[in-house]
Amino acid sequence: MASVPGLEPTETAATAEDTTTTDTPRSSRRRTRRNKVTSHDSFLSYANGRWWKIAGLLCLASLLAYIFVPLPAQHFGGTWLGYTLGTIGAGLIVWLTLLGVRKRAMTPGTWSLKAWTSAHVYLGLSLIVVATLHTGFDLGWNVHTLAWALMMIVIVSGMFGIWFYWTLPQALSENRYDEDGAVTEKQMIEQLRSLDRQIHDAAQPLSAEDAAVVEKSLEQDPFDGSIWNRVTARYPNCATRRAAGTLREARAFRPRVADDPLDRVDALLTRKEAMLARLRRHLRLKSLLQLWLYVHVPVTFALLAALSAHIVSVFFYW
Amino acid sequence: MTFLIRQIALKASGEEIVRATTVEGDTITIGRDASCDIHLPDLAVDPRHARAVMKDGELFVESIADQPFEVNGRSVNRRAIDLSRGAELTFGGHRINVERGEGGVPVFTVRRVEAISDVSEEKDLGSVYTLKGLMPGKRMSAWGFAILVLLACLAWPIGAYVTHKGEKERGSGYHGDEIWSSGDLTLAHEKLKDDCQACHVDAFVAVRDNACMTCHEDDAHAHIAGLAANDATARLVAARGEPGPFGQFQRAVAEGFNRPAGRCVECHIEHTGAGAMEATPQKFCTDCHDGMSKRLPDTKLPDASDFGTGHPEFHPALVVEPGNKPVFQRVALTKNTREDSGLKFTHAEHMSKAGGVAQMVRRRPGEYDGRDAMQCADCHTLDSTKVRFEPVKMEESCQSCHALGLEMVDGTTRTLRHGKPELVAADLRAFYRSGNPPRPASLSGMSRRSPGDGASQRTARDFARAVQFFPARADGAVTRVFSKGGACYDCHVVTRDGPAVTNGFDIVPAVQNDRYFEKGWFTHDAHSKYECTDCHVEATRSNDAGRVMIPGLGGEGGCRTCHVGGTGASLAKVNHPVESDCAMCHDYHADDGPPWMAKPKRTVAGADRPKSLRQVSLR
Repeated sequence: MASVPGLEPTETAATAEDTTTTDTPRSSRRRTRRNKVTSHDSFLSYANGRWWKIAGLLCLASLLAYIFVPLPAQHFGGTWLGYTLGTIGAGLIVWLTLLGVRKRAMTPGTWSLKAWTSAHVYLGLSLIVVATLHTGFDLGWNVHTLAWALMMIVIVSGMFGIWFYWTLPQALSENRYDEDGAVTEKQMIEQLRSLDRQIHDAAQPLSAEDAAVVEKSLEQDPFDGSIWNRVTARYPNCATRRAAGTLREARAFRPRVADDPLDRVDALLTRKEAMLARLRRHLRLKSLLQLWLYVHVPVTFALLAALSAHIVSVFFYW
Repeated sequence: MTFLIRQIALKASGEEIVRATTVEGDTITIGRDASCDIHLPDLAVDPRHARAVMKDGELFVESIADQPFEVNGRSVNRRAIDLSRGAELTFGGHRINVERGEGGVPVFTVRRVEAISDVSEEKDLGSVYTLKGLMPGKRMSAWGFAILVLLACLAWPIGAYVTHKGEKERGSGYHGDEIWSSGDLTLAHEKLKDDCQACHVDAFVAVRDNACMTCHEDDAHAHIAGLAANDATARLVAARGEPGPFGQFQRAVAEGFNRPAGRCVECHIEHTGAGAMEATPQKFCTDCHDGMSKRLPDTKLPDASDFGTGHPEFHPALVVEPGNKPVFQRVALTKNTREDSGLKFTHAEHMSKAGGVAQMVRRRPGEYDGRDAMQCADCHTLDSTKVRFEPVKMEESCQSCHALGLEMVDGTTRTLRHGKPELVAADLRAFYRSGNPPRPASLSGMSRRSPGDGASQRTARDFARAVQFFPARADGAVTRVFSKGGACYDCHVVTRDGPAVTNGFDIVPAVQNDRYFEKGWFTHDAHSKYECTDCHVEATRSNDAGRVMIPGLGGEGGCRTCHVGGTGASLAKVNHPVESDCAMCHDYHADDGPPWMAKPKRTVAGADRPKSLRQVSLR
């Protein structure tokens, strides 16, 4: 828990820009309002870490109870403290799942989505302590441990999510800046289209073989590729790189002539490669931002199912 | 001959612009090269890809460099085209419609149908930067996982339960509901591992005692003997006292969830792993017995909270009246506690390294292994269970010194019968009756007669009287053997209520107490690495046969020398403490056997080993 970053409020580039104000006296009211709106308060440090403290207290209370409350020697889960921790844990799991419902309806204020998210993160992390103590460290190959394991998968994937949300946006915006400023996703596509048109025109004089190689680069969908290609940003079958390489190789054995169309095509392909590299970095960062949810959300539902089975089984074979 | 070529371009608005040219001649060329008649700026098209030839009113299209093209969707290298029916040629991303124009002129309508590159086609900005299509959808996998888990962990187990409900014994092999098991069953119940329903009989009904009693009808003894089941339960509940508010709350919740109190499984917890079932924790006993005298004023039992700090002094069952029907009484063990076994014995004298006994031992090195004194095992031997001792038998342990020999008959010792006072008396009488006294020499025919008859007559008279009164010597012998200084009197208590044959003497039958602690369990086997006198300290000190030599709770040689409480607590410092729960000596369902903790471990390997070799579990 202690390794979760970002307990101090942080400032992003956007905040710094937005909080610049004019000196006109009439704008003071507006300024404060704007400051209030724009001072970026991460969900991790929401309300001075209120939920961090609450979750920490919950963990501490559970731990102390686990250690010091005298209990009859039996499965810990079957003692009154075990049932209590289990009920708290199950309630937390259901409530944490409701973030998925809640986030679709944004409201401001104390129960804003940010407050919910902050509580979601910290109470979710506290489940590691609460639910693990509920097991009494008595794990085996059964539905009860399945529920615990699924919960741990959900929490760990959530921790990845926090880490990605903490580090990746910075990298994402750095990657989008070039000498002309920030590039939007739409502009990335436009740039590629423009380059493709230029390559297409420049390649017209090429021989049939060379043209076929260049055509491969044009025909390849830059958004194609497996999830592995996306996440690693490695595309071993990149047709643009192959085209550039093939043409360069072909040109190496030819006499130099002025205005060789291959030169132009090569230059354009090199630019396209650079542009694709940026696009792929962008895709990698964006897919990381999304990928953890592909574990977090489905496993959450598996967890809800396993939790139901766990509870039913306990009462069924009482 | 003339060809009409119509190039169609699209404006941004989608409007078509048609640029028509005519070419004179029989042949036109199609290719990427600007010099071609039909110029297709398309990298998938060869610089000079194909030519179309008009010959005798028929149109042929053929590839120049064997690079195929498509005619009506078929890839070909050459094809005659029926102008009246027309055709659709495809070169790379371009389509050329061929048809007969006015005056039979072949018309080529050229248009680009594919974007020049993939990225030039329309991209959905909303999804192209996401993982859509690369990963199975979240909704889809969420449902999939959830249904899979519900099927495997809920539907399958419930199915197994419903299928086998009501069966007397469920077949072995894995059943779905075993996935619910929270842990392995203990060794005692290992065979039930595939039969959840042996104990979990009804759904949503906590395990009831009758499920246990199906098998345990013989060995589940009542804790309070001699009371009807209902009275015993009521007394047990009363002994626990009224629970506090939290206890009442717990009880209410448990009953609300259909978990009544007082069931076997509340103490006998299962699914704790494949070892022996765990001993009942001490708290279970002390909940009642700690301070019980306040809650049950009529109880005769003293309070007990912990062996180390709060255990009443032992109350061994002592012989207070020896005899054929000895009277036992449980008496608190103190230094002055005496037991009347009907025997006289000097332990200290017999154990001493000095004095007559030691001298006797030294004189018989063969019998006593060259020792210089007797030891306990010379008389006391463990029984086959190694728990308690065989009674000491006079014939085996005492007689080699304390012989009851009467006379030697041709090298064989004739011995008085031990344990049968009447026989002893009869033997003695028979011995003295078996012959006349030796005839005096003065009466023999060979003796010289002194003058006068007077002396002879006197001798004859004396002899006649001696012969007549000979049995009276037997009486004296009988009296002597039962009286102080006699063989019986040395060891036994003699009374005067015997039969005539013993002159009214009788021996009180001696009683050897074989189990002092009837409510507790003690096994000598577990203490075999200690000397007897470590605990029975008085054995070398006391010559008082009435002295009770079993060790007490504390003091010299007492149990608390090593045994501390279940919590490790002790009144005095213990060098090598042995933590001792109640269950080490006491059993809730008490029977003649050892209690739970001291029972031999039921391991698979140990099950068929001889009883004496089994390890006694002392945790």
